[in-house]
Amino acid sequence: MPERSDSKAEAARRLSSVLIVDDEPKIRSALRQALEREVGTIFEASNGRDAISIAEQKRPAVVIIDLGLPDMEGIDVCRTIRAWSSVPILVLSARTEDQEKASLLEAGADDYVTKPFSTVELRARVRAAVRRSQMAPVPGTDAPIVIGDLVIDTARRVVTSAGADVHLTPTEWGLLRVLVANAGKPVTHERLFHAVWGQAEGDVQLYLRVYVAHLRRKLEGDSYRPRLILTEPGVGYRFELPA
Amino acid sequence: MDALSTAGVGPSTTRIQRWVIAFVVLAALTGAMLVVRADLDKAHVALLYLLVVLIGSSIDGSALGLTLAGSAFLLFDFLFLPPYNTLGLTNPLDWLVLGSFLVTSVVASQLLAHAQRRTEEARARTSEVERFSTLGAETLNAADPVEALVAIAEVIRATLSVDSCDIYVHRGKEADLELLAHAAAPKAIRSASTVGRASGLLAWVGGRKEMAVERKDGTVSVGAAAEDAGAGARNESHSGWFLSWGDIADARAIAIPLTVQGRSVGVLRVANEPHVDLAPGQRAFLNALSYYAALGVERLQLTADASHTATLRDMDRLKNALLAAVSHDLRTPLTTVKALAHAIVERGASPGDSNAISIEEEADRLTSLITDLLDYSRLTGGALQLVPQIESADDLIGAALAAARGILESRSVRVTDDESTVMLLGHFDFVHSVRALVNLIENAAKYSAPGTPLEIGVHREGAQLVISVSDRGAGVGAEDRERIFQPFYRAAGVAGVAGVASAAHGVGLGLAIARGLATAQGGDVTYEARPGGGSVFSLLLPAAEQPPLAE
Repeated sequence: MPERSDSKAEAARRLSSVLIVDDEPKIRSALRQALEREVGTIFEASNGRDAISIAEQKRPAVVIIDLGLPDMEGIDVCRTIRAWSSVPILVLSARTEDQEKASLLEAGADDYVTKPFSTVELRARVRAAVRRSQMAPVPGTDAPIVIGDLVIDTARRVVTSAGADVHLTPTEWGLLRVLVANAGKPVTHERLFHAVWGQAEGDVQLYLRVYVAHLRRKLEGDSYRPRLILTEPGVGYRFELPA
Repeated sequence: MDALSTAGVGPSTTRIQRWVIAFVVLAALTGAMLVVRADLDKAHVALLYLLVVLIGSSIDGSALGLTLAGSAFLLFDFLFLPPYNTLGLTNPLDWLVLGSFLVTSVVASQLLAHAQRRTEEARARTSEVERFSTLGAETLNAADPVEALVAIAEVIRATLSVDSCDIYVHRGKEADLELLAHAAAPKAIRSASTVGRASGLLAWVGGRKEMAVERKDGTVSVGAAAEDAGAGARNESHSGWFLSWGDIADARAIAIPLTVQGRSVGVLRVANEPHVDLAPGQRAFLNALSYYAALGVERLQLTADASHTATLRDMDRLKNALLAAVSHDLRTPLTTVKALAHAIVERGASPGDSNAISIEEEADRLTSLITDLLDYSRLTGGALQLVPQIESADDLIGAALAAARGILESRSVRVTDDESTVMLLGHFDFVHSVRALVNLIENAAKYSAPGTPLEIGVHREGAQLVISVSDRGAGVGAEDRERIFQPFYRAAGVAGVAGVASAAHGVGLGLAIARGLATAQGGDVTYEARPGGGSVFSLLLPAAEQPPLAE
């Protein structure tokens, strides 16, 4: 559905520049049409080498990259750009590449969109990625997050729901902190586990599933319809900040 | 006894030549002895003639030996025993000498012939054993099993000196026989009609597993083997065919069933004009070789089965690769179509708007069809990669509801769980289980009127986690309850339900995929009619225990 928002808010959201990397000219054109209302300048690259050099010279605010490129693997382009830049990277993947999503995130990608994507979703992901990159980089120094009547104050380690304290165990806190610090972006199971439990031995899946369920039951109204801690099938979890 | 006669002299000499040579030697010896007759003793003459008799019987058997013995007897009497040039004898004791010579010659030539026959038999047996072992090796080693059968047919034909040897094998239906190996002597001209006429008989032989003989007068004898041989014994060992087969003197062709472990695999037919003449040794040989042929046919069939399986597997692999490539390639234009249609919708109110919206919706529909086909091809092709891990029912249901958001729209979905259990865990592949559950939810939404509520329940039943999706649709008739899980099946008559028809699109793979994904990880998808109307589809997945976790 088309978005109708007032022009002032739109202007404020307007991105300076986006780099689109895809070897299919028609996909590049479709992406350009989807984003041109929101973005000042759109750069295009049809291969990995051009993508890396444009990213270096033009410093785009966001990079959107297709996994299948003629000269190099998309994942290697992610890794190369991430080595010197913190620019948000959004990957376009086919559904057949489900298994690769986690490794893409590990390689430095921020998010992924499955082809064929919806324009609305693509814009939302691009905006979320940019917003995240503009947030305070040090976790714990953010202002309290207010979602409805839920307040999460990671600096003071306090969560209140409709004014009442919600008690969280140390493990639940650890988990929530990592998720909030990466708000809006999928965090892989491995990363979550190591951030919370360190190098501990154990079934990563078991610990995560159980503690995420605990957290959801304390923070969400309906644990079957989570609004905050979303499941990314086969990848991990995403803490969703209401727009 | 042709075979025995070649010993000693080159095989190229004919019998007449050998006889001439023997008599020339006899004449030359007689002439030489005549010259020195005065100095010769009777014993010298007897010994030298005995030598010629033995040579004669060694080069052409006892017949020549006996003839030479008779001739030498007369020459001895006529030329070397006084009075010379008469058959009468001066000294009666010379009769004793002559008689002893004759008896010694006859006995010696008979003994020699017998010994030679034994040697020849031993040699024949040795070469037969060699032929067997060669054939065995050929049968086992020949790269192409058909070539092995042709080799067996040729060995049989050459060894038995018959016009032709054919091996027929069963193809497809039991009764159908196909000529696979044909060995024919150059002189034999076999018309197709002969074989054609025999085919009914061959089918009978293959079907009944009994021998048949085609006689010269056009009649056929069958089943004699069965009368004589003990029932069942024939199937255990393969030595009995000819032992029980009496008179084949006027046979023009013999058809032998080829069996392996009592199972008929084909028929072997030997034919000869004017008649098939088989010595007992040759019958035993044919017997043994027919078993080789049977093994050869079986090997051929096993090879054919194996290569058929391999071909099917290759085709599956190709099919999957093709589907994956096609679905990947279709995503590119679909992405473009969808994004451009959306851009047109956004650009403003024009008469094309509703069309552009339809285009975007159709692109989505096409995408889901492609996804279904790809998933189904992966399932059937065994290309499904499962990563079973400990997962929670909460997450599974949550992720499925999130994925089905577009389909459910504003429809209310109530989730009921077992309040007494803190959390239900299972051991399954998350991504594929979400897909299975989404398919069940989609199916429920598709076949029930919009706005009617859906219910999702979760509980544990023994070693299984049960996640049920209930609707208030038309339900499924008893006759269709298994058929709905078959691929490409779509319930008939559903279109009649108000407001459902338009939503019921798809290729009919959703339930087949859901069940396939579930069974691939030790679960299942089941159907039950819902009390009060509607359907309950349940996704069963392996449950897991929750171990105590340290805080």
